[in-house]
This record gives sequence, structure tokens and C-alpha cells, in this order.
Amino acid sequence: MRAYFSYVCKRLAQFVLVVFIGINLTYIITHATPIDPVEQSISAVTAFGSTAPESIAEMRRSLQELYGLQGSWFEQYVSFWKRIVRADFGPSLSAFPAPVSSLIARALPWTLGLLVFATVVSWVLGNLLGGLAGYYRKNMGLKVVGVIAMGLHPVPYYIVALVLMIIFGFIWPVLPITGGSAMNLEHGWNWPFIVSVLKHSVLPALSLVLIGVGSWFLGMRSLVSNIVTEDHVVYAEVAGVDSRRILGSYVIRNALAPQVTGLAMSLGGIFNGAVITEKVFGYPGMGSLLVDGVYAGDYGLVLGVTTISIIGVSLGVLVIDLLYPLIDPRIQVPS
Amino acid sequence: MTAILRDLLRYNGEFRIGLLLIMAVAVMSGLSFFSPYPPNDVYVVAPDVPPGAAHWFGTTSRGQDVFWQLTFAIRNTLAFGLIVAVLSRIVSLAVGLTAGYLGGWVDRVLMAINDTFIVIPLFPILILFYFVLRDSMSTLLLAVIMASLGWAYDARLIRSIAMSLKTREFTETSIFSGMTTREILMREHLPYVMPVVFSTTLNNMNWSIGLEVTLAVLGFMDINTPTIGGMIYWANQHTAIVAGVWWWITFPILLVVMTFVGLYLLSVSMNEYIDPRSRLARMGGGAQ
Amino acid sequence: MSSQPILRVENLKAHFRGTYFGVSREVRAVDDISFDVERNEIFGLAGESSSGKTTLIKTIAGLIRPPLELVGGRAQFAFLPDAPTIHQAAPAAVAAIRWRHLSYIMQGSMNVLNPLRRIGATFRDFALPHLGGSAGAFEATVTAHLERLRLDPSVLSAYPHELSGGMRQRVTIALATICKPEFIIADEPTTALDVIVQKDVLGMIRSIQREMGSSVLFVTHDMGVHATLTDKLGVMYAGRLVEVGATRDVFAAPRHPYTRHLIHSLPRIGDVTQRSGLPGTPPNLANPPPGCRFHPRCPLAMDICRTVQPAMIDVGPGHRASCHAISEGGS
Repeated sequence: MRAYFSYVCKRLAQFVLVVFIGINLTYIITHATPIDPVEQSISAVTAFGSTAPESIAEMRRSLQELYGLQGSWFEQYVSFWKRIVRADFGPSLSAFPAPVSSLIARALPWTLGLLVFATVVSWVLGNLLGGLAGYYRKNMGLKVVGVIAMGLHPVPYYIVALVLMIIFGFIWPVLPITGGSAMNLEHGWNWPFIVSVLKHSVLPALSLVLIGVGSWFLGMRSLVSNIVTEDHVVYAEVAGVDSRRILGSYVIRNALAPQVTGLAMSLGGIFNGAVITEKVFGYPGMGSLLVDGVYAGDYGLVLGVTTISIIGVSLGVLVIDLLYPLIDPRIQVPS
Repeated sequence: MTAILRDLLRYNGEFRIGLLLIMAVAVMSGLSFFSPYPPNDVYVVAPDVPPGAAHWFGTTSRGQDVFWQLTFAIRNTLAFGLIVAVLSRIVSLAVGLTAGYLGGWVDRVLMAINDTFIVIPLFPILILFYFVLRDSMSTLLLAVIMASLGWAYDARLIRSIAMSLKTREFTETSIFSGMTTREILMREHLPYVMPVVFSTTLNNMNWSIGLEVTLAVLGFMDINTPTIGGMIYWANQHTAIVAGVWWWITFPILLVVMTFVGLYLLSVSMNEYIDPRSRLARMGGGAQ
Repeated sequence: MSSQPILRVENLKAHFRGTYFGVSREVRAVDDISFDVERNEIFGLAGESSSGKTTLIKTIAGLIRPPLELVGGRAQFAFLPDAPTIHQAAPAAVAAIRWRHLSYIMQGSMNVLNPLRRIGATFRDFALPHLGGSAGAFEATVTAHLERLRLDPSVLSAYPHELSGGMRQRVTIALATICKPEFIIADEPTTALDVIVQKDVLGMIRSIQREMGSSVLFVTHDMGVHATLTDKLGVMYAGRLVEVGATRDVFAAPRHPYTRHLIHSLPRIGDVTQRSGLPGTPPNLANPPPGCRFHPRCPLAMDICRTVQPAMIDVGPGHRASCHAISEGGS
């Protein structure tokens, strides 16, 4: 129990550190660079026509106030943190006057749904197939899966998404390739809407799952082929323990512990994939919001999405870390 | 070294395929020096010509020859990946060896920072960089930024190797013979770490090229330097697929996938050479 | 009935064969070995590390995995009368005799228990299919067995990492003996333990063997353990058995120079003479020396030793050794 407590404390400290460094990174990027976000925003707005000089000056003042760019370096830093803690990123410039936080609140469920579904499916499927492939090394079907995984795993998400889009959008157009649902449906728990959401999520989810399965498969296969040579597995075989029991409780079970750690470590990368996949398929989540924010020069929106992403991913990692002792009773307490 | 290469070539199918792919990609990038068209000129050939004898991979809607444009693109993309990999290896090595060798609170502090960089989603941060820098974002600057963000995963790997090296006997011998920490790290431990560094270089190139392509496709990069991502960006701008100019997008994708798979296979086969356990598995040890 | 040994090993040969990255090698780790193990006896197997002891018992126990291959000979158990060696028997038959008749205490017992499984679950996995019965009855059997070995039954709810090294070894022995097997193979079960625990574990093996009347094939390089524990002793050198006989006879009159060296290097109370080491190193089994494999290090080496492999010859009742010096009338 003591060990678990100190483990939890350590994970919490790591979480706080990740968020702290992440937020500071965004602060440094936005404040320590020679380019002024206010001027960026103004040039984005004035690019479409001439604006009176006095209204530009007015705009500059209000934007500086809005973005907390007034006062000394220290005051700016404090006000930056205050706004983060309150999740107040000001109004969006591109969807004025909607506040950035409400845009994020609307996009978050889409990303969360896509991400959680794709991650769980690919983790479970990849580990299951990889575990079998590592144990039954001579199985032809699993060898073929291995070759496919080797070809898919190193390819970036964008390319897979684009190829899927070309195949199912143009060559064999059976699935919707853009948006989160059909336009004319009422959002809510009604059947046509749910079906439409599911249909629209097939391709984005598939691009995440294809790559995910590949990498979990390869990781698990090599883990298992090492674990089968470990003493406790050999010993169970010597004892004539049922082979399905060995595969389940001695091999795959023991390989899962590092794969759970792996999941925590790759959550950031999976999120990167979701961002780009959403953009390709025009899926109305955080990724599309972020990219569109950049196109529109919407400083508050970009900063807000970045910050929430960092916190969200770290939170996901924290949850996995706290659940880890369930799968491995040996909580690592480095001596 | 040549003996290892020869053995890998003879007995490892993955290495053979990987080497073949990478050699094809390298030849392609080398051809850029013989290109009849300068890389940045547009409308030098008739636009939208399908692949044929005159233009092997066709031409773009911007009047560029896809084949010769690709030679420049893959050269720049590879160079980008190499720069990121080399720069970030330096950080990985410094952090990993220091943390692993010194241990104690130095290790704890370095690994806490290290794990932070593993966890943080880098893509939004890169986008934030672009958002702030806009037109000042050059390929080289992006490479430096990515190198300073992408070292953490391999630093952890190198640290674990350094930790096991530290407990070996020859390290103690070096200490007793009066070598300084820096000398031990550079002369005694670096040679053991190098094979792993080499294989992580390949993986890191995959990672950075993947992000570069992604950023460029979105237009979040210097789009005037021809890269694979930049080509796809322009193809998307001209809605090449809808317009039926499929060759504009297919050939860059094929070439970059060849690069990814090639680099990956090389690193996998190299890892297998480094790790004797997987060698045993290949021989048929372990369960049937 | 009593004349039939429980294990008969005849001319057993098992080699490591591998080709990888262009280097093809054959390591003759078990080369033409014969001996019997009777019922209700502890048969000791001695020899330095890499002499092929572990490979021999793995071959006997049917744990042959590539690159190890059975090349020839037989290792027949009385409870598997139809199969010349265990891995030529039907897999179902082997599964049925494992643990019930033949159990194994593996080297490096620190790692033989599944780290993510409670001890009780491991007991169920290993023994429940053989013992059968209800969960409650099984639990009672296990508890009684642990108590007989003076182990606290609360270990059943522990994970391996929560136990000390000695405790884990004792749990492993309890696990190996729960089905009251007729034959137990023990591979260096005490090597990693400190001396006090070692003595305890040896006593445990001895008492449980007496109680159950099982046979034990006990492997250790420690001649002191052989002197106190085993009934018979086989000495291995470089993949070959060089001497075998009743432990008492072998210690009283060792006939092979290697056995003599092993026994003489044991420390004795009151003896202050310098122990002499054996010159040279054990041979590379991929390329063993011709003739007697011991000749490069043998103080008695003669010309014939360099070319002709000595045969096993009887030197006393149940006592055999393979050395040219014996047949030449020497020693």
C-alpha cells in the first residue's frame, strides 16, 4: 500500500511536470519569439481590405489586453497562467464572438470518441494478433499479417489517410470522406444521426487503426518471442501446464505490462495522428479546429487547442499510469 | 563492419529489401543533379501530361515534370531527415549517457524532463511554432526545432545501455586507471552505444520525415523548397485527384512510402543483429 | 521389479546445431552417455560449468528445442515404457506424466515462478489437472503439503517478488513435489542460495525424497553437496561421462584423474596444504580435442590419450570410469 502511494505521488508529480513544461513551452513560443501575435492577428484581419488606422490602433490595444501582452514580462507570465487555469482563451477571431473554450468544448467529444475507439481497438487487436504471432511463429496467416504490419507501421498517418480517401472516396466511393455527420440531421440521440456519425467515422478510425494495429502487432510479437524463452514460461511447459493457459496467463499476460507502458508513451504520437487524420477527412474535432485556426490566424484558438491537447494527453497518460499496477503488481520503486 | 554488412546481406531478407528500397531512393535523389529543369521554375513543360515516354511520371498542373521534381523533393526530404536525426542524436547521446552513467539525482531530473518530452504531443507544438513564425519558418529552422523536441525516446534507450555498461568490469578498470568521466564515456562507452545510435537514426529519420511531410502537406512549412510533402501540398491545391491528375499525387506517395519502409526494414534488421535474443528466435528457438 | 531402473540412459547424444550469419556450428554437448537411476535413490551429477550437465538433463526431461537436437541413444523412463526417449512419446502421454511422475526443479529458481501470478494460482496451474478434485480439496492438499515442508500456507496469496530468494526456492520445491512424483530432476537448486538456506533446502529435498520414496537426479558442481546428499555419483567432463559409481566408492577411490582433482580440491578441516588448480580451461565443445577430451589438462596423459577415446570400463561393483591409465594398469 505504501509502495502504491509513493507510486501514485510520483506519477502525479510527473503529470504536473509535463503540464508545467508543456504550458511553458507554449508561453515561450508565443512570447519569446520576435513575431508579435497581435500583429499577426491584425494582418490576418486587414488582409481582406483596408481598415482605418485608428480602428487598427483600437484593435491592437484590445488584442494586447485580450492576449495578456501588457505590462512587464512577469505580469504577462502570471496573466498567461491565470487564463490557462480558468480555461479562458478569449473569443475566437475566426468565429467571433464565440469564446475559444466553447469551440473546444464542441470539438472535444468528436476527438475523444475517435481517439478512444481507435486506440482501444488497435491496442487490443494488435496485441492479440501479435501475441499469437509471437507464440505460433510458424503460422502462415500470422506471418502474412506480420509482413503487412511491417509495410504499414512506418508510414505516417497522413499518407494512410490520404490513400484511404483516394480508394474509398474516388476509386470505390462507398463511404463518406468528409465531415463528422451528414449536414441536414439533427444532432442528438436519434438513429439517423448516430448511423451517419458512425459511417463518417469509419475512414478516420480506419486510418488510425491500420497504423496502430501494425505497431502494436510488431511490438507484441517481438516481446512474446522473447518471453517464451524466459524461465517461468519454460518451467510451466516442463510442468505440462495446458498450452492455452500458458499462452494466456504466462505469455500474453506478462507481455501486456510493457505494452501498457508503451500505450502511455505513445499517446502523444497517437494524438498527432488524430489531428492530421481529422484534417484530411474534415472531421469536426480538435485537429480540424487547430489547423483551421492556423489558416484563419486565430491566435486564441491555436493557443487554446494546443494547451488543451497537452493537458488532455497528459491526463490520458496519468490515467494509464494509475491503472498500471492492476496489470503488474510489481510497482517499480527504483532503489 | 564490412563482414557484418555482408552477413546481413546474405542472411537477412529484411535487410536486403530495405537496402534495395533505400538505394533506389538514394539514386533518385542523386539524379536531381542531372535534372534538365531548375527545381523552382513552373510552366517549363506542358501541364497535365499523363505518364509517357516524354515525361515518365507525367507533368503537374503547374507545368513541372513530376519525375525530375521528385528527384529534388526526395533529396531535400532525405537531407531534412538526416539533419534532424544527426542533431537529435547528439542530444540523445548527451542526455542518455550522462543520466545512465551518473545516476542519482542527475538521472532523476534528466529522466523527468525526458519523459515529459516523450508524453507531450509534439504536433500541436510544431503547429504553434509555425503559427508564430509564419514566413520566417525555413526548412533548416524546422529541422532544428524538431531535433530539439525529438530526442527523448532514444535518450531513454541509450540511458539503459549506459546503465548496464556502468556495471561492467571494464568501466571499473577505467576508473581505477584514472580516466575522467568524460574520457570513459567517449572512449569506452560510445563504441558500445554506436550500433544502437545508428539504428535509432533510421527510426528518427522516419519520424521526422513523416512529420515534415504532414506539416508541408498542410502548408505549414516553407512550401517553395520542393519536398515530398510540398509536392503533395501543391497537388492538393490544384485538386489533382478530382481533376484526374493522379500521377501528381501517386508517385510522391509511392516514393515516400518506399523511403519509410526501407528505413524501417534497415533499422529492424540492424536491431536483430544487435540483439542476440531475436537472432535465436529466428533460428527457431523458443516455443513452436 | 526392483531390478528395473526408473531411468535408463543409453548412449545418449544431443548436439547443438546452428547456422546463423554464415557460421555453422555443431556443439557436442551430450556425447554418448550411459547410466541408470534406480528407484528411491539420489543420483548426483557433477562437473564444472559448461560440461553439459544442464543439456544432459534437459535432453532426459524431453526439453529439446532448436538449436539443440537429439542425435542418438535413448533415455527411457519406467513410467513411459513404450518410448525410447520422452520426446518420442505421444504429446498427450508426456503431458500426463509430467509433474505426476516426473517433475523438475530448474536452475535459477528466482525466475521460474510467473512474476505476475500469485503462488496459489501457479500451484493450481501446475498441479490441479493432475490431482483433480474440487477446489476446496485441492486447497487442503496444497496447504497440508506446505505445512509438512514447514512453509506458511499464507505464501499462496503472495506474489513471487514478495518472497525472499530462499523462500522462493522452497516454494519451488514444494511445487515440484506436490504431486508426489516418482522422479525429480533438480538442476543446481541450491547454487544461488547462501550457506544456511542451502543446508535447509538440501535437508528438505532429502527428507521429502525419503518420505515419498522418489528418485532424484541432482545436478550440482559442488562436490561437498554430493558427498553429503547423493547415493550415486556421475562425473561429467566436456560432454562425456568420465566416472560413475556409488558416491561412497567414488569418493573413497576415484579412478578418473578429473574426479580425483574435483575431490582433492574440496577443503578439509585441518588440512592447510595449498589446493592445486587444474591447468588450462575446459575445451571448446564445437571443436573438442581428439582422443580423451581431458588429455590436454591431464597430469597422467600418455600418447594413446591424444588419439584414442577411452572406453567406460568396470573398476568395481557398479563403478565405471573411462581412462586409459586404468586399463594400462596404472593408478
